[in-house]
Amino acid sequence: MGGHKADLLRGTLDMLILKTLALQPLHGLGISRRIQQTTDGVFRVPPGSLFPALGRLEQEGWIRGDWGESENNRRARYYRLTAAGRLRLGEQEQHWGRIVLAITKVLESA
Amino acid sequence: MPLWSRVTGTLRSIFHKGRLDRELDDELRSYLDLLTDEKIAAGLEPERARRAARLELGGVEQVKEQVRDRRLGAALDTLLRDVRYGVRTLARSPGFTVVATLILAVGVGATSALYTTIDAALLRPLPYDHPDRLVLGQKTRDGVPNGPVSRLDYFDYRDRSRSFTQLAALADFAMIQTVTGGDRPDLVRTGFVTWNLFRTLGVAPVLGRDFLPREEQGGATAVIISDGLWRRRFGASPDVLGRTLVLDGNARTIVGVMPPGFRFLQDIDVWSLVDRDGPIDPVRDSHSHLVIGRLKPGVSIEQAQADVNAISASLQEEYPATNKHKGLQLADLHATMVADVRTSLWVLMATTVAVLLIACGNVAGLLMARGQRRQPEMAMRAALGASRPRLVRQLLTESAVFTPLVAAAGVAFAYLFQDLLLRLLPVGDLGVNRPEVGAGTLLFTVATAVATCLLVALVPAARVSVSEPGLASGSRVSEGRRSARMTSGLVVVQVGLSMVLLVGSGLLVRSLARMAAVDLGFDPDRVLSAQVKIQAGTYPAPEARAAFFTSLIDEVRALPGVVSASAVSKLPIRQPWTDWPVWPSDRPRPAPGEGLSAMSRWVQPGYFETMRIPILAGRDIAPTDGPNSQRIVVLSARTARTLFPDRSPIGRTVSIAFTGDEPFVVVGIVGDARINQLTIEPDAAFYLSSAQLGATQMQLVVRGSADPLALVAPIREVLRRLDADVVLARPTTMTSVISEALGGYRVVIVALGVFSGLALALAAFGLYGTLAYHVGQRANEIGIRMALGASRRDVLGLIAGRAAALVGGGLLLGLAAAVPVTRLTRQLLFETAPLDAPAYASAVAVLGLAAVAACFVPAWRATRLNPVEVLRKE
Repeated sequence: MGGHKADLLRGTLDMLILKTLALQPLHGLGISRRIQQTTDGVFRVPPGSLFPALGRLEQEGWIRGDWGESENNRRARYYRLTAAGRLRLGEQEQHWGRIVLAITKVLESA
Repeated sequence: MPLWSRVTGTLRSIFHKGRLDRELDDELRSYLDLLTDEKIAAGLEPERARRAARLELGGVEQVKEQVRDRRLGAALDTLLRDVRYGVRTLARSPGFTVVATLILAVGVGATSALYTTIDAALLRPLPYDHPDRLVLGQKTRDGVPNGPVSRLDYFDYRDRSRSFTQLAALADFAMIQTVTGGDRPDLVRTGFVTWNLFRTLGVAPVLGRDFLPREEQGGATAVIISDGLWRRRFGASPDVLGRTLVLDGNARTIVGVMPPGFRFLQDIDVWSLVDRDGPIDPVRDSHSHLVIGRLKPGVSIEQAQADVNAISASLQEEYPATNKHKGLQLADLHATMVADVRTSLWVLMATTVAVLLIACGNVAGLLMARGQRRQPEMAMRAALGASRPRLVRQLLTESAVFTPLVAAAGVAFAYLFQDLLLRLLPVGDLGVNRPEVGAGTLLFTVATAVATCLLVALVPAARVSVSEPGLASGSRVSEGRRSARMTSGLVVVQVGLSMVLLVGSGLLVRSLARMAAVDLGFDPDRVLSAQVKIQAGTYPAPEARAAFFTSLIDEVRALPGVVSASAVSKLPIRQPWTDWPVWPSDRPRPAPGEGLSAMSRWVQPGYFETMRIPILAGRDIAPTDGPNSQRIVVLSARTARTLFPDRSPIGRTVSIAFTGDEPFVVVGIVGDARINQLTIEPDAAFYLSSAQLGATQMQLVVRGSADPLALVAPIREVLRRLDADVVLARPTTMTSVISEALGGYRVVIVALGVFSGLALALAAFGLYGTLAYHVGQRANEIGIRMALGASRRDVLGLIAGRAAALVGGGLLLGLAAAVPVTRLTRQLLFETAPLDAPAYASAVAVLGLAAVAACFVPAWRATRLNPVEVLRKE
């Protein structure tokens, strides 16, 4: 939480999670930390947002969670991208690209 | 297969909810562990690391609630949970559930029953072909509608008009005839119609054929019988066609059977043809027919009226002696048929809706009081992560659980009320659709139940969303300003609505009292009446007919328990009209519509004594006034006054339009009596000697010393001895004739009385509940006040002041609403102004008393509060 951090656009979190998982399977805290690192702390994902999103993505069949061991021997639930999730990520990236392009055009035209 | 995975996902989240929740628990625990490890790795002590991790994770329960909310099928899952919870809550307070269900179901049931009736009688078209094209024609005098049409005029309208595909007519009365030729004589009701009546309505016999145009030319013997008679007398045998039916000694041939349930304006067993030269309406002065027309496509009722007006104008020129000032007015058939019940039905509907609204207010109040007690529960739920919409949804669902209960009980009440309504109101007879509880009713009941429950649920739900859920207030719940305002508003509206209903029923009760107190001009008490008809064939000579009735009456008079007996051609109130122009013989006959037209009745000697109509001057009709003696007449006071304003009529002669030039000598004057209607001034009348007219059909009137119905059996015995073929038909008491005439009013009054009683009880109950709740809420405050020295009186004043404000507000609202509303019921009132002061005053008094009764217990309880006990509870 805190100061200037950007609110996650609705639906954007889903895409970020999918993208993060595209590189390697991760557990919940891992996902949260990876997004934080990658965005230099702009996006923080509190558990109250993370777990509902994970639950929903898993129900949609885009990710799959399995119990495994963490590096320090803790039991943790690791999520990985499914084939359907990979497809979905592609769609979302395209969609996002279009939105960014459109917004950039508006901003530059001013 | 995204759709498939969604479906399985949804099913999984509902059916494997437990496993999903357990996994989520595990996962959150592992998240916490990982987080702690992370903090330790960052250099924190294990204990502090754990606390920091816990803080970062936030409320575990809230996270879980959020996850559940975002799951597929979350809405359905929540719904199921709320339903389960609602059912449990209702089951936990069965008293509340039963009371609330019954209150709402009565309202819903009554509304549905009325809806069904209104739908059938007023909204749905008549059960005939294209009923919107059917019109009813009435005779007018100087443009004012006044009853049936002359048969001869009708034939001219039929021949000359161009606006109708068919123009039919039927006699406005049913004749009771005796069927002979079987094992026993049977009575049937015969109606007289033109050949095209059924074609006009678009209904055909199910068996056999309709009448033919040529059969109307006279001498035809064809009759069509009703489905009822066909089953009753012929065992529904298909070979009934062509069989002979002996009616009053005349052979008739059955040519058709009408469909089951067919009725039109009258309850008829046998339809016979109006003959071109038949006995009904032999002259243009006699008016006994109703005219029914079917407009040609594209012709409006106004165009048809213009067409008819032109014909009326030429008839006025052609027959100045009879048709001057006479016209024919067309009106929509359906509207005319239901004119009598329309206002009653809408008044009843408005009443039930008012009661339903009061009931809604009441149950909403109950729910709200309960909601207040559940404030801690709600606060707890909110703290555990339930959002406000979530709480509102829960309350709405809890109320929705009610709906099936209310709907089911409502349907039961609808059946009950429908039955009652049909028995009491003259709806469903005479060809208007008969209301039946069917799919429409069920749908309406369910819709009303849903709307009602929703309405009831919205109030407490709205309150949840404005209240500040907080555990802080805990058990020390104080009455919120908003919720107080809302309950008070509900009570004020309830009191106001009850006030309107009370004023309404007060007005109707006053009308009924005025009607019952009307001086009829005769005494209906302990008078028995029944129809006796002899066959003209068996008694061809007037002397024989006179002898039959004289000996019948003599023998009846001799029976024990009989005070006096006589007979009259038509019974007052039940058999109205038959008026004829009458004028002093020494003056020329007045032009039509200008002179006096008085009710004409034929009586046996002793009629005035039996009915207790006073003889004011001269004498009664005597047994000696027979067929061969001087024709005599007895005038009513009004007739005497009108015809002979400045001289005594006794011994003078009058002429009567239907008897040609023969003068009648006035032998007596009797008091005025109401003959046509209870609610209008006594009609001018004259009485002739039935012996001189050779009547074959009379109404026997017998005054008994005790219950007159006990006389029916002995009189039947007398009749059987005199002539076994003569039947004593429709025995009834004069008192029941009068109450039947008051019937429509009675029903509305009884219903309105019951409903206002119900409304009053509900409003008083609401008032009681609100005040009791109010006292409970302010118990702390009252305790503190008393501890600080407030007297019982002060406390009483506190509560009484609140009660007075509620009741006063309701009364004012009710008065303001009653003034315009009661104006609408003017049509139902009799000699009572819509702003009748006693009706208003008694409504205020009754409501005031109920309010005092409702306030007494809570106020008393408030004064009994023990300050020490109250404060100790803190």
